[in-house]
Amino acid sequence: MDLKSLDRRTFLSLPVVSVVIPAVAAAMAPEAEAMGGPPAPAIANEPIDFKTNVPASGSFPEKWICGSPSCMDNHDPPIQVNWYNEHTVFMRQNKAYSYEAPFMHLYFGNERVLLIDQGYTQLRTDWPLRDVVDRCIAEWCAKHGRGVEDMELLAAFTHLHDDHYEGINQLYSRPNTRYMGQTHEEMVGFWGMTNYPEERVTLDLGGRDVLIWGNPGHVFSEFAYYDTYSQILHTGDMFYRGRCYISFWDKWFASMKRLMTFLEDHPVTHVVGCHVEISRTGQDYPYGITYQPDEAPMHMTVEELKHAYEVAKTITEPGIYFTGSVYLCNETRDTTTIDRNPYEYE
Amino acid sequence: MAPIPVNDATSLETSQAASASTCPAHSPAPEQYPDGNPDAPYNPPGARNTDSCLPLKPAGEVVHNYATKGPAPGDLAFRWIHGSVCAAKNTDPRIQVLAYNEDTYIMRENPCVNWEAPFTYLLFGNHGALLIDTGATPEAEYYPLRLTVDQIIIRWCGIRRKKSVPLTVVLTSGEDVAQNQGIRQFADRAQTNLTPLELGARMEFHALGSSWKQGLGRIDLGGRVVAVIPTPGTHKDGLSFFDAYTCLLFTGDLLYPGRVQIANDRDYVASLLRLQQYKQSHPMKWVMGGHVEMMFIPGRAYPRFSNNRPFEHLLQLEPESIDEAVEHVRGVVGKPAVVFRTNFILLNRVSPDEKVYQSAPDLPQIPVPFWTSLSQ
Repeated sequence: MDLKSLDRRTFLSLPVVSVVIPAVAAAMAPEAEAMGGPPAPAIANEPIDFKTNVPASGSFPEKWICGSPSCMDNHDPPIQVNWYNEHTVFMRQNKAYSYEAPFMHLYFGNERVLLIDQGYTQLRTDWPLRDVVDRCIAEWCAKHGRGVEDMELLAAFTHLHDDHYEGINQLYSRPNTRYMGQTHEEMVGFWGMTNYPEERVTLDLGGRDVLIWGNPGHVFSEFAYYDTYSQILHTGDMFYRGRCYISFWDKWFASMKRLMTFLEDHPVTHVVGCHVEISRTGQDYPYGITYQPDEAPMHMTVEELKHAYEVAKTITEPGIYFTGSVYLCNETRDTTTIDRNPYEYE
Repeated sequence: MAPIPVNDATSLETSQAASASTCPAHSPAPEQYPDGNPDAPYNPPGARNTDSCLPLKPAGEVVHNYATKGPAPGDLAFRWIHGSVCAAKNTDPRIQVLAYNEDTYIMRENPCVNWEAPFTYLLFGNHGALLIDTGATPEAEYYPLRLTVDQIIIRWCGIRRKKSVPLTVVLTSGEDVAQNQGIRQFADRAQTNLTPLELGARMEFHALGSSWKQGLGRIDLGGRVVAVIPTPGTHKDGLSFFDAYTCLLFTGDLLYPGRVQIANDRDYVASLLRLQQYKQSHPMKWVMGGHVEMMFIPGRAYPRFSNNRPFEHLLQLEPESIDEAVEHVRGVVGKPAVVFRTNFILLNRVSPDEKVYQSAPDLPQIPVPFWTSLSQ
C-alpha cells in the first residue's frame, strides 16, 4: 500500500491496529521535515521492555483536585497530571473548568502514545489540553531519548459523549496525530473491529499492548481498554465510581458478563472510570456540582466490579441501586440525581 | 414667594427656594402633586438635565417624600452577569450592582462564585436602609456583600447629606442556604439590626407573634414602608416583602423565573392566595424573585449548578404570574408533579432534577441553541 498517496479521509479510516508503524513514520518524515523540523533522529535508546515484570506498579494521588467553594477563585491547575508510573499518565480536568471533571489517560509505548479521552472544553485558550499533552510527551521523550516527532499520538475516546471528546479540537493541528471520528462507524473503524462489541483487538503501541473491546450499555458506542503493562482496566462511563447511567440494560449486562469473562484469564490491578461522583462515605454528589470536598478515590478494585455484577444479577426493574461502591441507574433517563428537596416539611 | 414644588418630593431649603425664585412661580402646595408638578420648570437654564429627585444644591440633609401615585420609576434595562464557559476564568464583578432608582439597588452574586446567583435588594428610606436577603457565600473575599452594601450606603449618605443611616437586614427565608450565608459578614457592623435565622425568633423580630401565618408586618424606613407578608410554602419560614414606593414584591424562593421547589403544597397555595389578595388592594408592578434559572425559551430552565447561562430569562415577573401559579398548582396538591409554565416551573414532591431537560407539550417547542452543550 502506498501510504504517501493516502488522502486525509482514507488515512483516518485506516484501522490503526493494522498499520505497520515504521511505514507510517517513513511516510510522515518528509512532511515533518517540510514543516521546518529537524530530520527525525533514529531511536536513540534501547526499546523499553513492557512485557516482563508486569504489572508495572504505580500510584494515584492521595487526593485529586475536586473543585472549590467559589469557581472563579479556583487556583488549582486546569488539568491535574498524575504520572502513575514512568510510562502511564492519568489526568483530570479541573471542576472549575467543567463540572464533569472527566479523567484522561496517556499510555506511552516505544512508537506510539495513546490518549484516551480529551475532556469537556473545546477552546485551547479556555483549557490547555493540547499544551499539557504536548508537555507530557516532550517530558517523556526527553527522559527516554526519543524525538517527539517520532511518536505518533492516537487520540481516542471511551464513548460517544461530548464530555469525553470536546477537547479533541485542540489536537487537530498537531503533527503526527491520528484521532477517532465522532460516529460509531468511525470509532469501530479506528480500531479495525468488524464484530462490535464482542471482538477484542490488540493495539500495539510499540512493545506495549492495549486490549480493546466493545463495552456498550451507558451508550451504544463505548469501549473498554486494558493496558497489559500496568494491568489497569478502564471501563469508561459504563462502570465508574458514581452514577452509572445505564441507558440499555441488556447491553450493559452483556458488557458486564464480557468483563467477568475477561477477568477469568487476565489479572487486573485497578478498575478505573471516567468520573468520581460520590464521597468516601458513599454520599451522592448531585449531578453538576462543582465542589466535592470529600471525594472517594477514582480507582476501584476488581472485587467491587465483581460485587456490582452480583448486585446487577438481582436487578429486574428500572431504578437506582447502590452496590456499596457505585450507583447503578437502570434506565432512569429523567432522573440525574437521587436527592430530594432538603426544605420539604409537613 | 412660595417655593416651587419640585419633582415628587424634595423638601427645599430656603436658600434654594430663593435661588429658584427667578423662575415663574407655581404656587399650589406640594401635596397636590405627589408625583411632581408637570408644569414645574425642572431644568432652569444652566442646570444639568437630570430627572433626579434631589435638589441641585442641597444645603443640608435631604428629606425625600416617598408618597407616589403608582409605582416610583425605576430602570432594569441592563443585562445581568450570567457566568462564563469557563468558570475559573470569569472576570465579571463578584457582585453586580444595579441602581433601579436612587433609593433602590439590586445586586446579583456572580454565578461563578455560586451557581445559585441570588439577587439581594437594598432599599433606602429617610431614616433607614433595608437589605433583603444576603446571598449564598459567607466568605467576604469571594463575595464582598458587606463591602458593597457599605459603599452604596456611604455614597447614598453623601448624596443625601447624611452622616449615616441604620441598616436592617432581613431574609425571605432563614433556612435557605442560598440566601442566608452572607448575613455573617454583617455580624459586627455598627448601627445594624440583623434578623435571627430561627423561625420563632424571626417572627418575633417582625412582630408577627405566634399566629404569624395570618399576620402582616411592616418595616418603616422613614417615609417608605415595606410590608412583611408571611408566605411559607417553599420554606417553612418564608416571608415576602412588598415595597409600596416602587410597588415591587420581593418573593425570594416562593415565585421566581426558575424551578420553584415547593416544600409544602398546602402552605404554598395558601401563600399564593394571600399574595393574590394583597395584589388586589395594592398596585403591584413586578414580582422580584431571588434567582433566575429559566432560559429565554418558554418552559426551559438551566439545570442546577450551571454557571454559564448565556440567555437567561428576565428577573422580573408580571404580577399575573401569581394568578397563573395559583391556577396551575391547585390541581397538583398532594401529587408528585412538575408544572411547566412559560416563565416558571413548579416542582411538587419530586427530585430537584426531575424532568430537568424537558418542557411541556402545550408550550412552544423552541430548541435550545445548538452552540450550548445543553441542547439535548
